[in-house]
Amino acid sequence: MSNITTPQATTGSGPNFGLPESESRLKSAYRLLSALVRVHPRLFITAVSGATLFGLCTVASALGVRWMVDEVILPRFNEGRTDTRALLIGAILVIGIGVLRAVGVVLRRGFAGAASWRTAETVSLDVLHRIVAQPSTWHRQHMTGDLVARVGVDSDAAVAVMGPMPFASAVVVMLVVSGAWLLVVDVPLGLLAIVVFPLLLILNVGYQRRIDTHYKTAQDELGLLSEAVHESFDGVMVVKAFGAEMRETERLSHITGRLKDARTRAVILRSTFEALLDAIPSFINIVLLVVGAHRVQSGAMTVGELTSFVYLFTLLIFPLRIIGYVFSEVPHSLSGWNRTRQIVDEPIVADPRASIRLAPSNAAVVVSDISVAYSGQTILKNLSLTIDSSNTVAIVGATGSGKTTLLHAIAGLIPVDSGSIAVMPGGVGMVFQEAFVFADTLRFNVTLGDDISDDIVLAALEVAAAMEFVSKFETGLDTELGERGASLSGGQRQRVALARAIAHRCPVLLLDDTTSALDPTTESIVIENLRRQQTVGATLIVASRPSTISLADEVLYLANGVIVDHAPHAVLMAQNVEYRKLLEAFEHDRREN
Amino acid sequence: MTQLDVRFETVRTINRGVDVAPSFRRGLGITFMLALVGSGARLVIPIIVQQSIDKGLRPGNIDIGFITKLGIIGAVSVFISAYALRMSAMRLGVRAEEGLYTLRVKLFDHIHRLSLADHNEERRGALVSRVTSDIETLTNFFSWGGLAWLLDGSQILAVSIVMVAYDWRLALVAFVVAAPLVFVLKAVQHRLVEAYNLTRVRNATLLGMIGELFAGSDTLRVYDASPHMVKRVRATVRSRADSNIRAGFIGAFLFPSGEVFSVFTVVAVVTCGVIIGPTGGLTAGALVGFVFLTFRFLEPIAEFTEVVDQTQTAVAGLRRVLSVLDTPIGPPAAEFPLPLPTGTLSVDVKNVSFSYGSRLDSQDDDLPVLSEVNFSIPAGQHVALVGESGSGKTTLARLIARLADPTVGVIYLGGVMVNRVANDDLRTRLTVVPQEPFLFSETIRYNLQFAVPLATDTELVAAIAELQLADWFEALPNGLDTHVGKRGGSLSAGERQLVALIRAFLVRPDILILDEATSAVDALTEIRITRAFDRVSAGRTTISIAHRLSTAARADRILVLEHGRLVEDGTHDSLIARDGPYAQMYDAWLASTSAESEVRGV
Repeated sequence: MSNITTPQATTGSGPNFGLPESESRLKSAYRLLSALVRVHPRLFITAVSGATLFGLCTVASALGVRWMVDEVILPRFNEGRTDTRALLIGAILVIGIGVLRAVGVVLRRGFAGAASWRTAETVSLDVLHRIVAQPSTWHRQHMTGDLVARVGVDSDAAVAVMGPMPFASAVVVMLVVSGAWLLVVDVPLGLLAIVVFPLLLILNVGYQRRIDTHYKTAQDELGLLSEAVHESFDGVMVVKAFGAEMRETERLSHITGRLKDARTRAVILRSTFEALLDAIPSFINIVLLVVGAHRVQSGAMTVGELTSFVYLFTLLIFPLRIIGYVFSEVPHSLSGWNRTRQIVDEPIVADPRASIRLAPSNAAVVVSDISVAYSGQTILKNLSLTIDSSNTVAIVGATGSGKTTLLHAIAGLIPVDSGSIAVMPGGVGMVFQEAFVFADTLRFNVTLGDDISDDIVLAALEVAAAMEFVSKFETGLDTELGERGASLSGGQRQRVALARAIAHRCPVLLLDDTTSALDPTTESIVIENLRRQQTVGATLIVASRPSTISLADEVLYLANGVIVDHAPHAVLMAQNVEYRKLLEAFEHDRREN
Repeated sequence: MTQLDVRFETVRTINRGVDVAPSFRRGLGITFMLALVGSGARLVIPIIVQQSIDKGLRPGNIDIGFITKLGIIGAVSVFISAYALRMSAMRLGVRAEEGLYTLRVKLFDHIHRLSLADHNEERRGALVSRVTSDIETLTNFFSWGGLAWLLDGSQILAVSIVMVAYDWRLALVAFVVAAPLVFVLKAVQHRLVEAYNLTRVRNATLLGMIGELFAGSDTLRVYDASPHMVKRVRATVRSRADSNIRAGFIGAFLFPSGEVFSVFTVVAVVTCGVIIGPTGGLTAGALVGFVFLTFRFLEPIAEFTEVVDQTQTAVAGLRRVLSVLDTPIGPPAAEFPLPLPTGTLSVDVKNVSFSYGSRLDSQDDDLPVLSEVNFSIPAGQHVALVGESGSGKTTLARLIARLADPTVGVIYLGGVMVNRVANDDLRTRLTVVPQEPFLFSETIRYNLQFAVPLATDTELVAAIAELQLADWFEALPNGLDTHVGKRGGSLSAGERQLVALIRAFLVRPDILILDEATSAVDALTEIRITRAFDRVSAGRTTISIAHRLSTAARADRILVLEHGRLVEDGTHDSLIARDGPYAQMYDAWLASTSAESEVRGV
């Protein structure tokens, strides 16, 4: 069997460098952004163009107001002159600019979303491909939940900063253009307004920083609360047994209280800031108006110009907030980005499957002198065995004797510390203790996407004694099995997994306690079926039922990581006292459960 | 349900929520009044623009004094309204946090008192999300949606009032031209909600798929099937991005619609204003002021559509929270509690039947776990409960401990009906050591004091010594301060049982119920457990749920359960002599533990 394909995305399109934590916030923000923007530059540029259009139109809309005041309203009321043409021009100006501005908003928002989602797609696929390229050895050292987070929330977090970026750039355009315009119209008034922008900006950024620390505290407290709640509800037996309901409620209330306090602090800060943000521009507008009245009196500007100044100022306040927002997104995005990079930059670990050799003809599996140890504990010790073609072998041993490890080593899922393993060409099919069923159709669960005909699938299900329940499915092979095969019983899931191994026609079949969830009769039928159809290759079964074991051609008796005995079941039963005791214990356990 | 019913139901849910946590309602009227005053800040500018154009900036007659006066009045009103705005937002936020706190605490209290049937594995996750994520939807609502209702609502109201006051004709024009916006928003909002729902569905699908890809990685590797799965995940990643981008574009159209409407409204207002003219009683200032007001009027409307959606989510969260509070607690507290007699207590089980079936579910799984069980245990006797798993041993023990009430029948402790005993009394007189002893992720001390909060270190160490566990205790790295790890994970299974035994011993109960652990422990710990158990049970009425028949054999008396019925009752010897179910079990057990299977322990 071929090795897993190497991912393409990691080598090509993806931004490919990690960001050291020691950099200054601004610098790392810049590097993060330029890395993100480079993934889908066109979408991002469209968003920025939309934002620029929006920014320019926002400033221009003040021109419309000025026209309406100076050319339409004041002449009508002060001179009694109705200028229809001026009204028409004003209407076109106001509506035209308003509509263009809306177009700018649609482009800005729409394409900012498109740019970030497409970038998120690329980032998460980079991570995904890297994870898939890593062999099972690597997967064993990582928690599924953590890996899912890296592909999911971390990738989303990494691009979060992109969303408000075009708007932020539009704000810069707006500030520069309106500042210039204000200066052109009236220098003193323009200067007054321009001084205010940086002040408001500092207020915004400062506020965002402070509120972020409150939000961060609240988030941490929420995490603690959720952990404590989990624990408390899990331990409800103990809580009730000692009559500690009140004490537990009190303990959780205490944490909730801290959460409430952090949130309350944020609420107070936020209320103050919102009120300030409402009041400051109004104050400045009042100052503009009073100073402007002098300028109008001295003939330096018109009433319309003054009005449009005031109008423009009210428009600029909200956008200023976006800059503070971008600043607050940076650390969050940065940590998400770094978490995705950690995975992408990790070198690919050697795949133990690559070291599996081809067995000489007539032998199905040859294990030569292998040892496996986990964290200092020896699991398999200098183990050697040869399994001939068309043999069914039962592997028997107490819990912890190394049965599963042996199968995993033969399947190439774990590396061996020394020795070598060879299997016959065509490879290994394995059915695990916990059969894994995918949330898909029965067909997919057997073929796993390989090109296998329905006839073969049905035949495999027949051999696995799965037809008895599959034949009842109204939708046949198209039946959806639900998440983790939720619609099936444990025994049914195992038979589907077994059919999967059979349909893939792997000459060597490894069954890790697979059939024990079946009733003894079905188990025997399955084993018999397998023997009949396995004309080449071999089947290795970890088993505990004497009835099953007796069907095997030979038995490997494992204890403490070594093969104690290797003989047919009847021989072992007659000659090996330990073996007999073990089988009797198995029988008893089963009755207990 | 009709739309009216839905609305009625929503209002009822909100009312109930407010009843549970009255802080939500406290001073809401004042908060709204303050918000109304607060919206004034947004009206000040249009009004002084109007005033200065009409009275201060007349052509050739600029009245600087008037404008300065106007500026001062304006500044003062801005200050006042900004302060009112701050107070209003703060009151809403702080009260909301108080209310959510109350709601959470009520939930903790209620959930801890729910019966064990409502606490099983499947429902636990749901209970955790009630106090975490569902309440968080409410938090999100109050920090944005609720605030928007308050501030945007008062802004629209205040602006409308001023508009009508300036000129009712222009106000009418503005309302009529802007009215279609409501329909546009409604239509778009509907699609936006659908689009966002789709993104949530796709997101969940994607996370499920990735989880599968990694959790099933061994399987995929064995069959080289990862590429197929990756292809599917790629497609889902793409479709998730697509649905998000689509939702983003719908939102992008929705967002500026208020602004588009406002430019049309402004043109309509100016045109009508010009037609009305000064002869119609309109002034230039009022018309310019109107232009400002029109922008202010439509500003919050676009936001409202998102607020409505968020409100629905929050009400749904509240509904789930309330449904937990509506689940009756079990077992209910004794109304007129009777005291337990002093000294060792007897246990009488009279005609007890029990079936699980949770009230959190609509469908009950009413298979009887226990049927008509009768027996009496004299004070001080050690009884072993024996039976296959699922025979009802654990349930019976739970009923005796009153962790649940029998469906039928009565249990007496020391002659007193157990449901008439005060919970505090019961918990100091009867202690349960569960099969999987649960330890909190804390120190040994914390876990021991969980049983007796006031126990001193000296008392704890003395108890440990009394149970002959001093050698074990001394080997702990930090004594009582030793951290047991997550769920006691730093200790071995046997050590966790030891801690549970010490904990039970500290209570010095009169009745001890011990659910024997099945997990294998090393020989030394096994000896320690047996020794400690003998000490703990000495002189107490003891009921042990025996999974190992060696434990059963040491009891004074054995009760054998089969499918929820009591089938045998007697001493070990007498039951062996009867050659009934117990004798068969014992035979099988002996066979499995000794090579000489023919020897029977008679």
